[in-house]
Amino acid sequence: MNPVRILLADDHTVMRNGLRLLLERQPHLQVIGEAADGRQAVALSDTANPDVVIMDIGMPNMNGIEATRQIVSRNPRTAVAILSMHSDESYVIRALKAGARAYLLKDSAETDLLAAVRALTEGKSFFSPAISRILVEDYMRQLESRGAEDTYDLLTNREREILQLLAEGRTNKEVANLLNLSLYTVETHRTHILQKLNLHSVPELILYAVRKGIIV
Amino acid sequence: MEPEETKDTVVFKRSGQSLQWGAQLVLLASFGGMLGLMLLAGIDSLRALRQVQSRNVQIRQTFLLRNRALEEIRSALYQSGTFTRDYLLERDAERAETYRASLLKVRGEMDASLFRYSQSLDAGEQAPFSALQARIADYWKVLDPISHWDAKEKLARSDAFMHQELFPRRATTLEIADRIGAVNEQELNNGDERLKTIFDQFRFRLGLMLGITLAIGALLAVATTRRILHLARDADLRYRQAALAQGKLKELSARLVEAQEQERRAISRELHDEIGQSLSALLMELGNLGAVAPGDAELRSHVESIRKLAEGSVNVVRNMALLLRPSMLDDLGLVPALQWQARELSKRTGMAVTVDADSVADDLPEDLKTCIYRVVQEALHNCARHAFARSVRIQVVQESRRIRLSVLDDGQGFDSTRTRGLGLLGMEERVTHLGGRFQLQSEPGRGARLHIEIPLASHPVEAVL
Repeated sequence: MNPVRILLADDHTVMRNGLRLLLERQPHLQVIGEAADGRQAVALSDTANPDVVIMDIGMPNMNGIEATRQIVSRNPRTAVAILSMHSDESYVIRALKAGARAYLLKDSAETDLLAAVRALTEGKSFFSPAISRILVEDYMRQLESRGAEDTYDLLTNREREILQLLAEGRTNKEVANLLNLSLYTVETHRTHILQKLNLHSVPELILYAVRKGIIV
Repeated sequence: MEPEETKDTVVFKRSGQSLQWGAQLVLLASFGGMLGLMLLAGIDSLRALRQVQSRNVQIRQTFLLRNRALEEIRSALYQSGTFTRDYLLERDAERAETYRASLLKVRGEMDASLFRYSQSLDAGEQAPFSALQARIADYWKVLDPISHWDAKEKLARSDAFMHQELFPRRATTLEIADRIGAVNEQELNNGDERLKTIFDQFRFRLGLMLGITLAIGALLAVATTRRILHLARDADLRYRQAALAQGKLKELSARLVEAQEQERRAISRELHDEIGQSLSALLMELGNLGAVAPGDAELRSHVESIRKLAEGSVNVVRNMALLLRPSMLDDLGLVPALQWQARELSKRTGMAVTVDADSVADDLPEDLKTCIYRVVQEALHNCARHAFARSVRIQVVQESRRIRLSVLDDGQGFDSTRTRGLGLLGMEERVTHLGGRFQLQSEPGRGARLHIEIPLASHPVEAVL
């Protein structure tokens, strides 16, 4: 099995050293480069084509969210995991919209990082439990204050199944293969799900799934 | 700062009041004096005119009265002559007796006239009047004997009596009466002279008073004009000084706000990026340390307690940094920062805060972004602390040339024409410094509506990220 090739992007050397130590203790993980800012990260991922990029948000020159957007748009096969100190929802949604597939908090990096890399190599999304908790709590509070009904109840069992797979990061084609459905049927289901939940994009759908505790 | 300000105002008011009192007294005295003089002059003129008029009437009346008395005396004299002659020449005793009765009547009339005249006698007339009285008495004494004459005596002596006694005496008496008439006329002229003197005195007094009044008026006019000009110059100077000081204060406060914002950002970044990141790295290294010696239980428990401490510190540092200046404002833009703030406030207070800002770009100019964020922060703070609102609606709309913000709450409201705290003042100043407009409407019991509008034209879009 080929090792997973990882790029580290963080402006703190101590942080990068710690991450490298943590990752390279695993035989199947390989850190192929380190970047100290967003621009460097984009350049390195262009030349080295890493499987996974571990990305900080607050960096000089170009921040991690913008770097993520550029990396994902140039190389969709590269999975970006945001590793940040920010636990606020606005950062998470920006990161997801930019194309990140995982969001980790730095305080729990040591426990979550390996699980996140594993999830990403399997094509799934990953969120630090602390992030999931915050998002779910916010969502519950919003529901409570608005007195709105839970839109999840509107979904059929098949739609819930597809929602989970999509939220885990699967493509329409993968979902179709897994469930033995036609691509067209999956796309129709997806449209219905977004409509019923009043969502507009797959990142929003992922966030919704995290909030609902459907994926972790 | 507030108590000092109050003290200054009080002192200023006091000195202003004493100054006003002095000026008021002077003005009151001057104008009062001038008006008093004019009043006096008026009263004096009326009095003098009335005096002159009554004197005039009196003089003329006296003159006429005496003139008439004299005329009566004269005519009585003539008549007495005539009646005497008729009496003497009349042969018929009965008719002669009627002439004698007429003569007696004339005498009585003359006495009455003489008495009337004597009532209004002047000092200068005393001598001639006494002479007249004596003459008349003498005249009548001469006439007395004729009533005792018989017809023969009458015939024999009457001619001689008339020409030698009666006519010469009548002529001298008339002469004296004429002299008295002249004196009377002289008196009339004297009266006119005296009137003229009174009139001249009055004219002099009136002229004097008018002169004094005019002089005081002129002095007053000069003094008040100078004073008013001085005050106007003073007021102008003070106004300009105040305007200048106000401008400087505004500039200073804007700079202070800017410096505070920069300071906050620097400290927030430092906390977040340096201390926070170091603590995160520390946590990471702790993980590595645990992996190096997996079997050592004592080491693991120490590592665990260090991890707990470090995690606590990370949270503290993160919250402090966010409170100082939320990193979203610089990393993500205005809208995520507003949304974060709304969520935080909802979490803390249970107030429902909605943010509607779909049209707002991420790359707003730095000062504008900060201004709107801080204004919303202050408004939300007020809603939660003072208004006890249940829901707040924040709306930001970006147009081609301006950006508009409104914050509406359903709290208890306040009288926006009177209540203006420091927080509101700060908001308004931030907004006006960027050339914007600030409007806050509220009434007790009807919530509050804050509207601000800031032009975009003067703010070229800067790349923030």
